[in-house]
Amino acid sequence: MTDQILKYSWLIAAVPLVSALLIIFFFHCSRKISAFLSIGAVAYGLTHSLFVLYAIYTNPEKTIELNFPWISAGDFKLFVGYLVDPLCAMMLVVVCAVSFFVQVYTHGYMKDDPNYSKFYAYLSLFTFSMLGLVFSTNLFQSYIFWELVGVCSYLLIGFWWYKPAAANACTKAFVVNRIGDMGLLIGLIMLYFSTQNFWTNKTTLAFSELKGAIDFAVHSDILPVVGVISVTTIALFVLMGPMAKSAQFPLHVWLPDAMEGPTPISALIHAATMVAAGVYLIARSYPLYIAAPVAMNVVSWIGGITAIFSATIALSQYDIKRTLAYSTCSQLGYMVMALGLGAYSAGLFHLVTHAFFKAMLFLCSGSVIIACHHEQDMRQMGGLRKYMPVTSTTCLIGVLAISGFPLMSGFWSKDMILASAWEQNKLLFAAGAITALLTAFYMFRLYFMTFSGSYKGHAHPHETTPSVTIPLISLAIPSVFIGLIGSPLLKGGDKFSSFIFYGEHHLYHEWGFGVFLKELMTTQGLIPLAAFVIGTFIAWLVYIRRLPVNTFIQNKLKPIYNLSFNKWYIDEIYFWILHKIIFPVYRAGWNVIDKVIVDGIFVNGSAFVVSLIGGGLRYIETGRGQMYVLVIFGSVLFALLFLLTRLK
Amino acid sequence: MDKLTEFFLQHALSTILFVPVIAAVVITFLPNKESICRIFSLIFSLDILLNVLVVIFSKFDPNLTAIQYVENYQWFGDMIRFKLATDGLSISMVLLMAILLPVTIIASEPIAKDRPKLYYSMLMLLSISVLGVFLAQDLFLFFLLWELELIPMYFLIAIWGGPNRNYAAMKFLIYTFIAGVCMFAAVLLLFFASGANTFDMEVLSQYGKSLPHIFQLACFLLFFICFIIKLPSFPFHTWLPDAHVEAPTPVSMLLAGILLKMGGYGIYRICAGFFPEILAELGLWIVLLAAVNIVGAAIACLVQDDMKRIIAYSSVSHMGFVLLGVASLTPAGFSGGIFQMFSHGLISAALFMLVGTLYERTHTRQISDYGGMTKYMPKCFYFFTLACMANLALPALSGFVGESLVFYGAFTSKYFASFPTALHFNFGQICVLFSATSVILTAGYMLWLVQRIFMGPENIKWSKLADLRTSEIVVLALLLALVVIWGVYPVSLSNLYEPSSSALVSYVSKVVSGL
Repeated sequence: MTDQILKYSWLIAAVPLVSALLIIFFFHCSRKISAFLSIGAVAYGLTHSLFVLYAIYTNPEKTIELNFPWISAGDFKLFVGYLVDPLCAMMLVVVCAVSFFVQVYTHGYMKDDPNYSKFYAYLSLFTFSMLGLVFSTNLFQSYIFWELVGVCSYLLIGFWWYKPAAANACTKAFVVNRIGDMGLLIGLIMLYFSTQNFWTNKTTLAFSELKGAIDFAVHSDILPVVGVISVTTIALFVLMGPMAKSAQFPLHVWLPDAMEGPTPISALIHAATMVAAGVYLIARSYPLYIAAPVAMNVVSWIGGITAIFSATIALSQYDIKRTLAYSTCSQLGYMVMALGLGAYSAGLFHLVTHAFFKAMLFLCSGSVIIACHHEQDMRQMGGLRKYMPVTSTTCLIGVLAISGFPLMSGFWSKDMILASAWEQNKLLFAAGAITALLTAFYMFRLYFMTFSGSYKGHAHPHETTPSVTIPLISLAIPSVFIGLIGSPLLKGGDKFSSFIFYGEHHLYHEWGFGVFLKELMTTQGLIPLAAFVIGTFIAWLVYIRRLPVNTFIQNKLKPIYNLSFNKWYIDEIYFWILHKIIFPVYRAGWNVIDKVIVDGIFVNGSAFVVSLIGGGLRYIETGRGQMYVLVIFGSVLFALLFLLTRLK
Repeated sequence: MDKLTEFFLQHALSTILFVPVIAAVVITFLPNKESICRIFSLIFSLDILLNVLVVIFSKFDPNLTAIQYVENYQWFGDMIRFKLATDGLSISMVLLMAILLPVTIIASEPIAKDRPKLYYSMLMLLSISVLGVFLAQDLFLFFLLWELELIPMYFLIAIWGGPNRNYAAMKFLIYTFIAGVCMFAAVLLLFFASGANTFDMEVLSQYGKSLPHIFQLACFLLFFICFIIKLPSFPFHTWLPDAHVEAPTPVSMLLAGILLKMGGYGIYRICAGFFPEILAELGLWIVLLAAVNIVGAAIACLVQDDMKRIIAYSSVSHMGFVLLGVASLTPAGFSGGIFQMFSHGLISAALFMLVGTLYERTHTRQISDYGGMTKYMPKCFYFFTLACMANLALPALSGFVGESLVFYGAFTSKYFASFPTALHFNFGQICVLFSATSVILTAGYMLWLVQRIFMGPENIKWSKLADLRTSEIVVLALLLALVVIWGVYPVSLSNLYEPSSSALVSYVSKVVSGL
């Protein structure tokens, strides 16, 4: 039975694809059937993946890897297949679970949209692509699905194509992601090029062989660790992919704009799953980074910088979804930083916990947006707690989870990351701790502005339908409890890290409440807790007690406030470069080369000469064309005759 | 019955070539009604497709790297023979033509209302020439058929083209004329220098590599210029945007879909097959040229205001990959180049079809006149998005396969290793890295095009427009279905040509290394 479950695990990905195709080709007219097919497919996937997780958890040795040739040319061979191991099993459950709840939620959120069926088709397609990425056995297959999730994201961001902002956002998202894809592609080609002798009779760039390949290349002096073509540069090129996909500085610019898409996809794609794919890819290609300490360092710094940088922006945003988007960037920064610090399981643990609570927070924001009749500005909200009890309670749970309230899911994963930062790099620990403080502040700011005080908008807010609130409640449960699997409270200690690990040594062998308290009472345990308390307290002072801190900052510290409010002017800088430098240079270059040199001088010049020689024929427009035909065939005929006479 | 089959298989290639001849004649005797002419030419074109499929699935053995289905008849004297044969490389191009021809005929409906008999005969004449170029094994026959393409193409543009058609047709003519002159000179030079007293391509390819270096170089350059005019490549590419802008939709589809591939095929068959040493010698320059094409044309796409020009320039950019693949002299590069030709044939035909349907309805090619077209033409939007994704080489669509193979092949080519640079990458690799920026640029111009045409606030002016007709949907669905199938399962296509292309590569490397 276990073998069968694992062997047919590819069905988890295949069924959503079939449902997407069925909806697109046959059932796009029927809303009920589309929703049923799409939700049914992912419900099947969720059930199956839970079995897979259980099977793998009980027998961690039973990993499965199957490959099929995709294309070959000489020595160059590419494969696709599926790989089921602990990391994959865990991701399957996360993706299917979030996708399932989001799809149920979609029914409530999109029920008035004329393109309801199409939305479900896209969601199924995305689920397929994301699961395909999770199943990938090798880096090339990852690249394939990597782009497919990108295109699903493009389609979904541009779902409301008539909004100019959405149209801009989807193009921007895809193009920025392409920058990363280019780096990833170059990295893959360089890696394959440098290790090509290793892959004869093996699956090209297979994750399971990656360590062997790199050791082989490094030991046989094919590939240096540092240099122009080296493990380090390959790792850095590959890193460009995750940087774009996981919205790391400086390629983060697309994610906040992506919020122009419908809220369910902000929850599914731009919070829980696709943006975490970058972290997943780094984890999958970890041998590459282990072999290149410099690249590891870069990874951790990019993560740390993104974490604190995005948190500073989130402080002053008024759009509820944008605040959450910057918070997503910041949390992804934590994960990337953890991987860079060698805290493999901590980074992935945060991926799991974050997927649940951030998806829930986005769904809450969606619920609020419907209730306020598509108002996203938090200044137009307030006091919604009494209108929307379920949404406000679940949102509070999410806010507590993300800010690191003790014993909730975000607390455990964030603590694990900060603990390893404390051991490895005090500077990054400081960045992480400040980020934690800022996170607590802006999340409570969001909560207080939205749900407490009095209502300032003009709509008539109301609690939303059950298909919206039930997913909220369902996601609230893992948001609270999922962290326990990585905590020392359960019998046997940290289950998560012993299930998913990459050569770390600090596996917890002790468990119990005493152990937890002992760990909490260290410096690295108390500082994040203090950060949470301080951040929350400041938010309370500012938004409940109404201390005039905001007006003070806006008036006296205007430059700093503007920096945060205008997102450090990154978009402005990029657009300035694009419109003032790149486009004018391109336009001028094209004008000079194509229009003036090639067409102007070269072509029309020679045409002029030809027409001079052509003399009298010039005034017959089409006569000229026929003349050329005549000339060429005359000369061919002449040549034929010449050859014939010569050789007879 | 067996005898008949046997007879057909022995004359399969000449049958393929003579069906359009008969078709052209038959059409001239038909009444001058568009629908009748269209149905007849559709039947003939389907017959060509059927013949090609029979050839592929009956006796054709892709693993046999030598030429197959040889037919060799005396023609002019003993030297100029009517010799037809095929191998993996040429049969895949013939297959592409056979797929595109019926599709084009279906798409011709609105254009051919004016003088249908002439139009469809011209189309058939064009297909004789194109099919002949891919099948000819006699250099003189090759040249004649190559030149024959000029006449129908000139008239197709000059009669059924847009407002500025005379300029475009003339420009096309001049360029092709120059290409023809170069090829003519090269053919004669090769013939007299080799002293082989034959135009048989098999024999000449053996003679080619033993010629004095200077002759080889001269022949190679003349051939190469001819082929890159057709391909087209910088600096001979400017005829293409003009020709595309003015040509009617189905002609654009054929032009981008198959005529450009004649250039690519020529480079494979003649430049690589006859003069491998020169190709290796000049590889570096060709790589540079390819990189300039790939990136330069993509940049040109970004600054165009005319949507047909964007697609035209993107053809230049994508055909650059063929050059890059050939110059790499690696199995992956060669294979990728052929795959790229095939997939670009399908994708560009689909894109020109889409642009053409828009133009037919609105009579404007200026992108700024559009906006929010999804509202009025949702089906068009879906097809356009799919074609656009294929064009920007999205994995699981056929464009990706060719490009990734070419990138890998060019990056690993050992022929560029003798050109180290101070940056540790060799020169070829730097060109590959430079070309890789096209991944971003292509996404930029294609998506920006989609955004400006289909998204944003709609233009009330177009509210009366009808969505795609059934015939248009058929054309697009056929083309894009093939794009998806060969993108998801590329082996089904690459099996057809892969042994021939590998054999060509190993032959080239054998000659170059002097064995």
